[in-house]
Amino acid sequence: MGQIKAGAVAKGTFLLEKETPFIVVEREFVNPGKGSAFARLKLKNLRTGAVLKVTHKTQDALEEIDVEDVSSQYLYSDGESYHFMNADTFDQYEIPMASMEEMQYFLKEGESYKVVRWGSESLDIKLPPKMDFLVTEAEDAVKGDTVQGATKYVKVETGLTVKVPIFIKEGETIRVNVETKEYQERINN
Amino acid sequence: MNIQNIKCRSLILKEIREFFDNRGFLEVETPLLSPHLIPESSIENFKTCLVSPYGDDIPLYLTPSPEIWMKQLLAQGSGDIYQICKSFRNSEQISPVHNPEFTMLEWYKTGIDSRGNIKICEEMVNSILQKETAPECRPPFREITMEEAFQELAGFSLEENIEISDLSARLDENGIPRNKDDSWEILFHKLFLTLVEPELPTDRPLVLKDYPSRLVTLASEKPGTPWSDRWELYMRGVEIANCYTEETDLTKMRDYYRLESIEKAALARVPVRSSEKWLDGMTDFPACSGTAIGVDRLLSALMGDIGIRGVILFPLDDIIF
Repeated sequence: MGQIKAGAVAKGTFLLEKETPFIVVEREFVNPGKGSAFARLKLKNLRTGAVLKVTHKTQDALEEIDVEDVSSQYLYSDGESYHFMNADTFDQYEIPMASMEEMQYFLKEGESYKVVRWGSESLDIKLPPKMDFLVTEAEDAVKGDTVQGATKYVKVETGLTVKVPIFIKEGETIRVNVETKEYQERINN
Repeated sequence: MNIQNIKCRSLILKEIREFFDNRGFLEVETPLLSPHLIPESSIENFKTCLVSPYGDDIPLYLTPSPEIWMKQLLAQGSGDIYQICKSFRNSEQISPVHNPEFTMLEWYKTGIDSRGNIKICEEMVNSILQKETAPECRPPFREITMEEAFQELAGFSLEENIEISDLSARLDENGIPRNKDDSWEILFHKLFLTLVEPELPTDRPLVLKDYPSRLVTLASEKPGTPWSDRWELYMRGVEIANCYTEETDLTKMRDYYRLESIEKAALARVPVRSSEKWLDGMTDFPACSGTAIGVDRLLSALMGDIGIRGVILFPLDDIIF
């Protein structure tokens, strides 16, 4: 556990507030016309998923959590939690689904992910910047619709809906930018 | 920054000058290098020095606004004045709304209070609208008092919660952390910046007026109320302008100097020299209202919300990082 000045906090920093682990999801610096400099933070409670908005003086000392990234295999979800297994030790980790909004779209059984561990608690899942998905539902391109740049929506194996170029077909694999959920390219097997 | 934006910037600055020239304001140009500054505990400054060929070097500071000089001109009988100049603020995060060196438009109109300056500001913005200007940045301005903003957006009356213990309780209720030694000003800002400012309506330019007079400034107080005669203009949630009915009572100005000097000495990473001496010449300071506008932010808003990096030639982070 270390101290960090609120002014040095970044998006993705793990903080402990009132004995609860939070991740910083938004950070903005504000200098009101009169008064000290402040950091306006949006924090996500990693146990409940609830969002907390706080404002600190940039000089305020906050508790930063020392976390560790552990390579783990995604096993399954039981409706409440995601379950992972440490690839080296076979330890099983559980992460409450409530704090991981939209994570289901990026978890593929058997795939390896980085689980963010704090002591005996799993706080977060680090996703790679880009992931490949199998297209499971796609309507055929409408005949005659040849306008350049025309797009349509397809569904991939995890249920995520992605806007893609019109030529993408069911059964093909596409690469998606995880943060923006945008189509990147078609992967030829 | 592209050539189109540079041309647009140049054109709007000409139009701003034309607006004030046509209304009888005198354009002035005051020093950017100053041997002393108005103590403002919230601002960090840039320090440099005059290397003397004869004796000791003389410390000089880059002015964070032209206020100290323009007020002296007013006291000397200049009448209505305006200035467009570079201003410098240190230790602010470089971001889409901050560059350490920025352009400020500051004007003073005699014989009016801050209400009169809302009208001037609105007319000025109206005279420089661009075809790219979004409806949210076009007049008419919406006006809301700080008290109304707290009632509507934070769910409680600021006036009825003006004591430190009340503010602390409201912070606790909303789960916003505070420190035992947080001052009134810090508690207020934590509430304002968390619950109120991010929720201010953005469908039109917004004048937020009547700031608590416990925020010590050189704005005059509204007699018999806990508010000072001050407003800020927001466009799409970004603070663009700050306006006061200027304090003319010399005793209160000296009080401000003492309070802020102590605070500044305790907080500032760049200590500055502030001298009350210039206040000696302020006995004839006229009743007036002054407005300061962050020109780069205003241009960004008018030119289609392109960010200050889109309107500043060579933003600092492009040239030093």
